[in-house]
Amino acid sequence: MKKIGLFAAGVLFGTAGIKLLGSRDARKAYAQTTAAALRAKESVMTAVTAVREGAEDVYADAKAINERRAEAEAAAVVEDASAEESKAE
Amino acid sequence: MKCKILHETTGRLRVHLCCGQMSLSQADVLEYYLRAQDGVQAVKVYDRTQDAVVLYDAERGSIIRALAAFSFAKAEAMELVPEHTSRALNREFEDKLAVAVMRRCGSKLFLPAPITTALAVIRSIKYIREGLSALWHGRLSVAVLDATAVTVSMVRGDFATAGSVMFMLHLGEILEEWTHKKSVADLASAMSLRVDNVWQQVNGTEVLTKITDVKPGDRIVIRTGGMIPLDGRVVEGEAMVNQSSLTGESMPVVKHPGSPVYAGTVAEEGECVISVEKVSGSGRYDRVVRMIEESEKLKSTAEDKASRMADRLVPYTLGGTVLTYLLTRNVTKMLAVLMVDFSCALKLAIPVAVLSAMRESSGYHISVKGGRFLEAVAKADTIVFDKTGTLTYATPTVAAVIPFGEHDEAEMLRLAACLEEHYPHSMANAVVEEAKRRALTHEEYHSQVQYVVAHGISSMVEDKKVIIGSAHFVFEDEGCRIPEGEQAKFDALPAAYSHLYLCKDGELAAVICIHDPLRREAREAVRALHESGFTNVVMMTGDNRRTAESVAAEVGVDAVYAEVLPEDKAAFIRGEKEKGHTVIMVGDGVNDSPALSEADAGIAISTGAAIAREIADITVASEDLFALVTLRRLSQALMERIHGSYRFIVGFNLTLIALGVAGILPPTTSALLHNGSTLGISLRNMTDLLDDEENTRK
Repeated sequence: MKKIGLFAAGVLFGTAGIKLLGSRDARKAYAQTTAAALRAKESVMTAVTAVREGAEDVYADAKAINERRAEAEAAAVVEDASAEESKAE
Repeated sequence: MKCKILHETTGRLRVHLCCGQMSLSQADVLEYYLRAQDGVQAVKVYDRTQDAVVLYDAERGSIIRALAAFSFAKAEAMELVPEHTSRALNREFEDKLAVAVMRRCGSKLFLPAPITTALAVIRSIKYIREGLSALWHGRLSVAVLDATAVTVSMVRGDFATAGSVMFMLHLGEILEEWTHKKSVADLASAMSLRVDNVWQQVNGTEVLTKITDVKPGDRIVIRTGGMIPLDGRVVEGEAMVNQSSLTGESMPVVKHPGSPVYAGTVAEEGECVISVEKVSGSGRYDRVVRMIEESEKLKSTAEDKASRMADRLVPYTLGGTVLTYLLTRNVTKMLAVLMVDFSCALKLAIPVAVLSAMRESSGYHISVKGGRFLEAVAKADTIVFDKTGTLTYATPTVAAVIPFGEHDEAEMLRLAACLEEHYPHSMANAVVEEAKRRALTHEEYHSQVQYVVAHGISSMVEDKKVIIGSAHFVFEDEGCRIPEGEQAKFDALPAAYSHLYLCKDGELAAVICIHDPLRREAREAVRALHESGFTNVVMMTGDNRRTAESVAAEVGVDAVYAEVLPEDKAAFIRGEKEKGHTVIMVGDGVNDSPALSEADAGIAISTGAAIAREIADITVASEDLFALVTLRRLSQALMERIHGSYRFIVGFNLTLIALGVAGILPPTTSALLHNGSTLGISLRNMTDLLDDEENTRK
């Protein structure tokens, strides 16, 4: 009994089902789905770009911080001026 | 345009342009507009978010003003964007990668197992077919391994593993194609930017014309060493044309009146007038691309070794797989070996490194025609300079014109300029420039000019033979005399200059002293080359010995050869190679061509003649000798990277196999680690070799 049911379903799919899948309405649905998928892809890519930009900002900030630190350290060093003084004498 | 600053640190701005949408071409317009501003160091434009990052060292206000003044229409009219940019290409491959990754994630998350299984089977067909076709052709290549790995996983019902393997292979393919296309495109756009001049024949005289102004039907004159710039047909004269850039055939072809000639080929000898049939335009870029793809067959030996090694390892991997199975009777352990075929890592990571180095070098205005040459540069211990135009500025100047006999100084300069203006040589340019500076114009009053390579020019003026050229050519070959009573004047010629001798009717008429100043950085650059491992820096020149030696001492080269002929240069290089040295030749003129092709890597300074650029393996467009040092450092870094990758790949994967056979790692984990490491090392190999900061010269 079950086999006959499966067979019937197969016949039904092979005739009406194929037609339905290729019908104009179905094609519209495919186009919509694909469009949605493409939009999703675009928004993912935009999000990725935004993250990338953010990461670059962070990196630039980090570099700036290190530069400031290095400058501060350099400013904290008192230069050896003994040679100059002896020259002045 | 209205903009909003999103982020700011010293010397860096990120702004958002309030323009709604931004197309790829608009992004290019913005990028090149900003780059053209004073004090801007680097610009990155993200078209998706309409953001731009500007790195600058100018005053902040000027950058802001430039941004405010920007409009797409105005900037587009400035025509700053080159014909081809790689933005579209990058976008295409970024998208491909993203789609592949998203599809993978999507199918893992949402699709039920039967469908992913079916998809895996469908996708596996490609790999299995490639594997079978390799076997059919009697090759045990990496394709066979890929196919075996995929098939075995599927036969075992492990479709997830089969899927991951194929996903990784697919990603690798995309990345490989991307780097490859991008480096070719970068190289081509760098090379196709140059605008050349041609000699156009108008009413019997020759006029220097920009190539872009030439129309179909115009007649242009091609002489020895000149590149044929446009497609056309010979109407007068005869020339031997080297068409290797088109056909790969290195024997020159004779072109008679009526024969077609093709853009990009080079006249090796003779001269002809061609009637132009097709004007330049988009053809040039495509031609350059073709040329590069052609030369890419010249893979570096390291690259070649890697891919041969990869294929050679295949039987061992297969053998190891079988052996493991026979010894352990354990399919899981067997798969552990199969999953870790390090051949594909070698095949991907090393070519990527080479291509990426070629791309990076084009960023320094160095175009390399094949990975082989980078390897030669890294290995070389001898570097030979042709003095003029390489160690010295490409633009020598006339210091003095000393007339002999009863001749008039200005008249002699005019005659010399008239002869010299047809030939692509820096000394000739100097004479022409000097005549122009002194406002000595001339009608073309000589007959057919003959050019004797590296010697000089001869022609007929008012039925008298006029020759101009080197001492050797003028006095020995042509037997000219010094006018009586002027030997003392001749002996007193200043030695600091190079001399050009002009003779009329067998008698010396004038000596033109040419001042060829050393490049400011020559001495420093030679020292840097020594430091980078060259043991023998050689200078060669056609100049007289005294001049040559004083220059050599100033620059600090190890050896100097003066009064050499082109054949001698090539012979010297051949001799050094026979002694087991790797030799680089740096030159710029027609007379360097034999030496350039003889050397392991011939480097042309691109201000020189077309034939030198065509024959050279590496072209340096920069006006700075330190480009050679950069090139050396780059190629050494590349070789280091290649060897490093090689050791890493073999070591890492052997460990994976050992762990797999020992049963510590299951096949899926080792496959993941293997593919991950392959991808990781390939991505690393795509990065720049040299630090920008390290490379900006003090």
